[in-house]
Amino acid sequence: MRYEKLILGGLSLIVMLAAWWVVTARGIVSEFLLPSPSAVFEALMRLSGGYMGSSLLTHLKASMSVVLSGYGAAVLIGVPLGILMAWARPVDIIFGPLVSILRPIPPPAWIPLAILWFGIDLTGKTFVVFVSAITPCLISAYVGIKNVPPDLISAARTLGASNVALLFQVAIPSALPQIVSGMRIALGSAWATIVAAELVVATSGFGFLIMSGYRNFEANIMAVGMIAIAIIGFAMNALFLEIEKYAIPWRDHE
Amino acid sequence: MVFAGNRGAEPTVAVDKFSFEVKESEFLVIVGPSGCGKSTVLSMTGGLTTPTAGQIYLGAELIRRPGPDKAIVFQNFSLFPWKTVTENIEFGLCLNGVDKAERQRRIGYYIPLIGLQGFENHYPKQLSGGMQQRVAIARSLVLRPRVLLLDEPFAALDAQNRTVMQEELVRVWSEHKPTVVFVTHSVEEAVFLADRIVVMTRRPGRIKEVVNVRETTGEQHWRAIPLDQVMRRNDFQDLRGRIWGLLRNEIVVA
Repeated sequence: MRYEKLILGGLSLIVMLAAWWVVTARGIVSEFLLPSPSAVFEALMRLSGGYMGSSLLTHLKASMSVVLSGYGAAVLIGVPLGILMAWARPVDIIFGPLVSILRPIPPPAWIPLAILWFGIDLTGKTFVVFVSAITPCLISAYVGIKNVPPDLISAARTLGASNVALLFQVAIPSALPQIVSGMRIALGSAWATIVAAELVVATSGFGFLIMSGYRNFEANIMAVGMIAIAIIGFAMNALFLEIEKYAIPWRDHE
Repeated sequence: MVFAGNRGAEPTVAVDKFSFEVKESEFLVIVGPSGCGKSTVLSMTGGLTTPTAGQIYLGAELIRRPGPDKAIVFQNFSLFPWKTVTENIEFGLCLNGVDKAERQRRIGYYIPLIGLQGFENHYPKQLSGGMQQRVAIARSLVLRPRVLLLDEPFAALDAQNRTVMQEELVRVWSEHKPTVVFVTHSVEEAVFLADRIVVMTRRPGRIKEVVNVRETTGEQHWRAIPLDQVMRRNDFQDLRGRIWGLLRNEIVVA
């Protein structure tokens, strides 16, 4: 079963690459619209040496530092806030309406306002990343705590648990799988948002790289940026799934 | 005990005019038709629900809140999925500030007693239903409660496991003989286990009759004998028929 999945998945990737190569090598689609695999590879080589003043590593560092600081702040604020909202009714009453109103605004819609508030440097983008990542953190923590089986609470109370023990030793561990998967979703959301923010205004980062390619009519540069974003996003998700397996050993994985 | 109606519905009188006393080290079984309020009686005895009228005492102390002196074993086991067998059993001890040496001593006593050697570090998900309920019983007994409350503990098990667990419960209980209040809808289970049986009416639950099983069994209670042998006894079958006769008029056909 595992092998089948691996083979079929690999096959679809290979077929796509082959189709890409055929379509560009035969000139069915112009090089201007769709760069050939070799052109993309050549762009990659050029980039590692440095393109428009910065190498691929610089772009990675620029995007990643913004993601990690915005995401970190979102986890530190969103998870405890979600837990408290689910646990203590007054907190829910105070913050609930605010969350409900702000939540439907797509994170990229904050970009212009963030630039106005914080300028075009990293602070504004960190803010937008924070906004995009806090929602999944908060919602998953909230739902996780609300879904703690009432029987577990009853059982713990009959064993002598105080309210503090109920929260920290029963509710939070019980909600942990949901909290962690919310954090994983939040990281994906943060990654998507930083790219969007860099498309609008930036001097480095993968979004900036794509826009540079666009301005110079170099589709292969754009492709390298997109492929890099895909690989890093995939790697972050995979890493997080591994962490979940390690942190939540009582849960069935797969 | 009256439960308020939701959204203008009539309030439900779950239990009414219900008064009984359980003696030290007595094994009392409450049997009644579905929905007669027998679980409500147990939940009030455990301090999880406060009666709207009337009082329940444990010794001289009015029961106001749940606690380890009146531990409950639930129908659905309610083990903490993130804790191993040992950690589940140890949890109540930790909550009540029992020191490490004493915790280890008691765990070392109860794990072999419930036949779970070799499963100390398993998570509940990795255990069968019968094994999970053994852990839940040990989790309660390890606290040395004054009264052990069991709410249809074997209802979720298949017939074979149920028989085994009934015999196991007798064996484990015999070690220290805490006072037991055991709720079930199974007449056979009640007759096999009980010193006295409280037969309840349909809702609103009242006491229909209190049957003293000891009058039939004499000094040597039949619960010490394997169930299949007891089943063949005429006095067992007669008593079973008598209880069933009391109960059958109370069962409302849905």
